[in-house]
Amino acid sequence: MKNSLTFPNGLTRRNLLAGLAAGTVMSTLPRRAHAQDVTLRWWSPQGAPAQAEAYKFQIAAFEALNPGIKVVFETTSDEGYAPQLAAAFASGEVPDIVTHLPSFSVQTYYANGLVEPFDDVINAIGADDYYAGANDVFKTADGKYCGTGIGNTAANMLWLRRDLMEASGIAAAPATWDELRAACQTLQKDGVFGAPLPYGQNSMTSLIFIGFIHGAGGQVFTPDLQVAIDSEQTRNALEFYKSMRELCPPGATNYSWGESLTAFVSGATATGIYAGRVLANVVAQNPGIADHVTCTTYPTISADVAPWTFNDFPSVFIPAQSRNKDAAKAFAAFLFNPEGYIKQLHAAPGHVLPVLKSINENPAYQDNDIIRKYPAEVDLMSSAAAGGYNLGYESSAHASNERAGEVIASNAISDLVQRVVLNGDDVNAALGDCAKAIEAIMKA
Amino acid sequence: MAAPLHSSLERRYARLGLLLIAPTVLIFCAVIVYPLVSAIYLSLFRVFTPTLESSWVGLSNYRELLASGLFWKALWNTLVWTAGTLTLQIVLGIGMALVLHQNIWFRSLARSLILFPYFISTVVAVLVWKWVFNDLYGILNHLLMQSGIISMPIDYLGSMPNAMISVILVGAWKYFPFVVIAVLARLQTIPEPLYEAARIDGAGPIARFFDVTLPQLRDVLVVIVMLRAIWDFKEFDLIWLLTGGGPSSSTETLPIVVYRQAFALNQMGMAAAWAVSMMAILLVFMIVYIRRTREKGPA
Repeated sequence: MKNSLTFPNGLTRRNLLAGLAAGTVMSTLPRRAHAQDVTLRWWSPQGAPAQAEAYKFQIAAFEALNPGIKVVFETTSDEGYAPQLAAAFASGEVPDIVTHLPSFSVQTYYANGLVEPFDDVINAIGADDYYAGANDVFKTADGKYCGTGIGNTAANMLWLRRDLMEASGIAAAPATWDELRAACQTLQKDGVFGAPLPYGQNSMTSLIFIGFIHGAGGQVFTPDLQVAIDSEQTRNALEFYKSMRELCPPGATNYSWGESLTAFVSGATATGIYAGRVLANVVAQNPGIADHVTCTTYPTISADVAPWTFNDFPSVFIPAQSRNKDAAKAFAAFLFNPEGYIKQLHAAPGHVLPVLKSINENPAYQDNDIIRKYPAEVDLMSSAAAGGYNLGYESSAHASNERAGEVIASNAISDLVQRVVLNGDDVNAALGDCAKAIEAIMKA
Repeated sequence: MAAPLHSSLERRYARLGLLLIAPTVLIFCAVIVYPLVSAIYLSLFRVFTPTLESSWVGLSNYRELLASGLFWKALWNTLVWTAGTLTLQIVLGIGMALVLHQNIWFRSLARSLILFPYFISTVVAVLVWKWVFNDLYGILNHLLMQSGIISMPIDYLGSMPNAMISVILVGAWKYFPFVVIAVLARLQTIPEPLYEAARIDGAGPIARFFDVTLPQLRDVLVVIVMLRAIWDFKEFDLIWLLTGGGPSSSTETLPIVVYRQAFALNQMGMAAAWAVSMMAILLVFMIVYIRRTREKGPA
C-alpha cells in the first residue's frame, strides 16, 4: 500500500513541493528590466534639513527635464563617508554621484581607479566661469580632473562674540595664539567656556590640528610628500593646544563638528571654530546673540606666520563603477544650474560658498537675509577659502597627496593630540609614533 | 531472502536521510563554513578594500598584529569591557528577577517594561545616553551640579577611566533584561517545598537565597554567562557610537579595530587577520560552553 500525505484541501505533498520549488526558481529570476528607467543614487554628508529641501528642488527640476531618470538622495556623514564608500566600492554597489566630500578623498579614489574623469562635466558647466585655480586641487597626475568643487568652505574661522568681548574689555580680535589664550581666559566666566576646540578621536580633531601645525609655521608633509610632522612647529602647536584644554568644555575630549558648532551657537563658549554654518544656526537657534557674532581668520603663533585656512574643497565626483555615468554627468552639471545652485547655497549661507563667478555676481545669490546681514563675514570667508588648503594640498608648492584621506581616517593625528593633551604622554614619543604611522600609510 | 530486502530498505532510508539533511548541510556550508574559510584565506593577503586588489603575504599579517602593542591593548580593553559589563548584567539581572518574582503591584507591567532597554535600538539608546552624559546640557551633570556634589561638569565619555566605566554601565543597562528573562523563567520552576523546608530549618531570606535559589539557578546562569560573554566580547555598535574607541584608544576593543582596519585604513586582509584572531579567542568561550551543555545532556 502506498502512503500519500494529503492536505485537507486535497493538495498532495508532491504538488505542494513542486509548487514551492517552482516559486523558488521564479523568485530568483530577474524581473523584467525597464530599460528606460534610471535611478541615480546621490550621496552627500551635507544633509541638514534646509539643504535637503534645496536638493529636493534640484532633483524635482532635473527629473522634470529628464523623464525616466529618478534621483534618490542618501545622507552620509563627515565621519562615516570613508568606511561607507570603501564598502560600496568593494561591493560594486556604488552611488552614481557623490558631493561635498573633501578634495583629497576624491584624489585618493581617483588614484585607485575608482573615479570617473570629470573634464567633460567641467566643460559643460563652463570652465571659464570658475574662479581662477578653483579646480587645481582636482587636477590629477594624468592631467585630467577627478571632480570639481561644488563650493568653497573656510572651515577653521575663529568665531567671536562682540558683546562678551566688549563686556570684558577686549577691544580687538585676537591675531596671535597668546592673544587668543588671554582672551579666552578673560572670557571664561559665568558658565561660559573660552573655546570649543576638538580633542576627540576623530577627523575633526585631525583636520583642525593640521591648521594649528600650519599656524605654527609647520607642515605635515614636505612639498614632495615626505613626512615632516615631527618638527619644532608641531611641538609648539601641541603645547598651545594643550594649554587651551582648560579653556574648553570638559566634553571637548569627545567633540566633533556638531558638538563644536553647538557649543558656540548655544552660547556655551565665547569663541568658536567652524565654517559659515554658524551664521544660519545662530539666526535660527539663538537669535539673541545674532547681532553680536563675527568671525576672523584663526590666529597663528605670531604675526610673522600668515593664517592658514582649512578649505576641504567640497567636491562633486562620479564613481567609475556607476552604471549610469551619462545620466550622472548630466545631473552633476545640472547641480550648477543657477536657480537650484543658489537655492543650495542659500540653504547654508556662508557655509558653502560659490565656485562660479556668475553665481557670486548673480543678484539672486546676494538676495539672502544672512548674506545681507553679514556681508563682511561672508566676504572674509570667501577670500579665506579661496586661498585655503587642506592635507591633500598643503600649499601651492605641494604635490597632490593621494593618501591624505587615509591619513585622516587613520586618526594618527587626533591620536597624537589625545596622547599629548589628555594622557600627558611624552611629546617626542607620541610625535615619533605619529610620524611612523603616517609613513606606514604612505608606503602601504 | 528477507535480508536483501531489509538491506535495500535501509539503503533507501539512508539515501532519504542524506537527501533530507542535504539542505541543512548546504545552508551550514554557505553561512558558516564558507565565510569562515574566506576570512582565514583573506587574512593571508594584503587587500586594498575599495578595489579588493590583493597580494599574498602569508602569515605576515598575523606576525604584524601580534608584534604590535595595539593587539594586546585592544584585547585588554575587550576583556575589561566584557568582564565589567557582564558582572553588572548578572548582578542587576538576578536582583531584578528576584524583585519581579515577588507578588508586587503591577508585576505584569513591570515585567514588560523591564525589557525596554533590550528591545530599544542601540543607536537610539546611545543617542539618549550621550544626551544624558553631555557636559553642557546633560541631565546627569545638571543634577550633580544643582545638588552641589560637583562644581564643574564631569567628562563622562572623553577621559579615562570615566569613558570605560560609562560604556560598561550603558552596556549593563542595555543587556541586563536578557538575564532577567532567563533567571525569572527559572525562578518560576523552583519547587516551593524547597523554600518551605528551608524555612522550617530556620533559614532567613539571605540563607534561602544562597542555599536554595542560587544553587537552583546555577545551570541557567552558566548558560547565560557563556552566551553573554560571547556576545559582549564581539560588541561593536554600542562602544563605537558612544566613544568611537577613544579617548586615545582607551575603549578601542577588538571589533572596533577590525572595522577600522577594514574601512578606515582600507586593509581588508589585516582586518581579516584581526577577526580570525578574535575568533580564536572566542573559541575558548565556545569550548567551555559546549562542554558545559554536553554535561547537561543525557548520558
